[in-house]
Amino acid sequence: MTVLLTVHGLKKRHGERLLFDIDELSIDAASAYVLTGANGVGKSTLLRVLAGLDTAQVASASFEGKPVTLHPYPQALRRTIVYVHQHPIMFSTSVARNIAYGLAARGEAKARIAQVVDEAMEWAGVTYLAGTDPARLSGGEKQRVALARARVLQPRLLLLDEPTANLDGAAREQVIALIPTLMEQGTTVVMACHDRDLIGLPGVRRLKLRDGHLEYRSNKGQPQGEPDETP
Amino acid sequence: MSLYDATAHAFALLFSGDAALWRIIWVSLKTSMVGLLLATPPAVLLGYAIAMHRFPGRRVAIWLAQCTLSLPTVLIGLLLYLLLSRRGPLGPLEWLFSQSGIIAGQFLVGLPVLLALTLAAVQALDARYAETARALGASRWRVMATVLHEARYGVMAAVISGFGRVISEVGCALMVGGNIEGETRTITTAIALETSKGEFAQGIALGIVLVALALLMNGALMLLQGEAHTAGGRV
Repeated sequence: MTVLLTVHGLKKRHGERLLFDIDELSIDAASAYVLTGANGVGKSTLLRVLAGLDTAQVASASFEGKPVTLHPYPQALRRTIVYVHQHPIMFSTSVARNIAYGLAARGEAKARIAQVVDEAMEWAGVTYLAGTDPARLSGGEKQRVALARARVLQPRLLLLDEPTANLDGAAREQVIALIPTLMEQGTTVVMACHDRDLIGLPGVRRLKLRDGHLEYRSNKGQPQGEPDETP
Repeated sequence: MSLYDATAHAFALLFSGDAALWRIIWVSLKTSMVGLLLATPPAVLLGYAIAMHRFPGRRVAIWLAQCTLSLPTVLIGLLLYLLLSRRGPLGPLEWLFSQSGIIAGQFLVGLPVLLALTLAAVQALDARYAETARALGASRWRVMATVLHEARYGVMAAVISGFGRVISEVGCALMVGGNIEGETRTITTAIALETSKGEFAQGIALGIVLVALALLMNGALMLLQGEAHTAGGRV
């Protein structure tokens, strides 16, 4: 399997406290991962570092085999890696324009933007919200709009921070149902989460951040003699 | 003259189309608007830049920006007077006692308010706006446009306050403009002069204009802002 992103010697400190010290992080192309670990262990920070929204000490990194830096964050990564916040924020314009934002930033033609946005709204089941003020959306609707906003950019790597946190019932299930379809378009998805249904999605591999170190785990059964009490 | 008589006379002056009075209003409006238009872009850019970026001395920059809010306009007038006076470094411009001099003064008076309030508005904005814009591949300029759009109520408040400060200040306009009739006499310098002469009618008339201008400007800016959200929710 082709390696998409590799980072060696990834260290993050908050003042004196060492948040994590990861020898090697390796993400394969066209794969899906869940990043688990207890609260405060640094899952969100790790995703933010990979998205160029936070800084960390990095010995070396490569993306699709080419050496890259994570700070400063190169434009080539900005165009291929997209990060979605745990509580996505919506720009104060319509839902459709929110979804179109990244495409407009890339200078895509208006006709193409309109077509792609329509498809994305249909995919996310938010077509009925096209002209709505995002301030009036529910948490689940916001999350689906945020996923559509990221999907239209066809990222090589999509980083989702707790995509189902604070969602329940149908809203949560609607979001979970969208995740496998993201992978179908060849996007690698890394999700920080506690949600057992996301962790249990077929084909999803598991990374666990514990005591500042990253463990690669098999999703089918736990390592022998080690019950996994903390998702 | 009683207050009633003075006020009645003031309205008579306003509606009779008194040329001297309307000339004063025009000079005031022109110098304030031009000063504000010149001060807004650099102030907003600088306020945004300080709010958004980490750099050595940032806290000092924020402290200084906030301190400039309390800078008396007569002090700005004095500094500008020294710069523009015949022997000053900007003497060759010959802006002292001219409308250009007043505009320079309005620029310096308006800039700190615009800068400090834009800085505060951008600082108060949720960092996720800029992060989301960047994560979606926006260029620096697009991130700035997005952030300023999201902070527009605060930025508009900065512009309103900047206008309020430049149209109402008297010290700088008096020192740098010289209160020359028909040329550099502004609403505020005229009010000060007329009151000192015991001529209250023109002062009151100009005061009414000043209040009307404040209402108009604020109304226009509110229209531009669109429907403002209520901090207390929708109930």
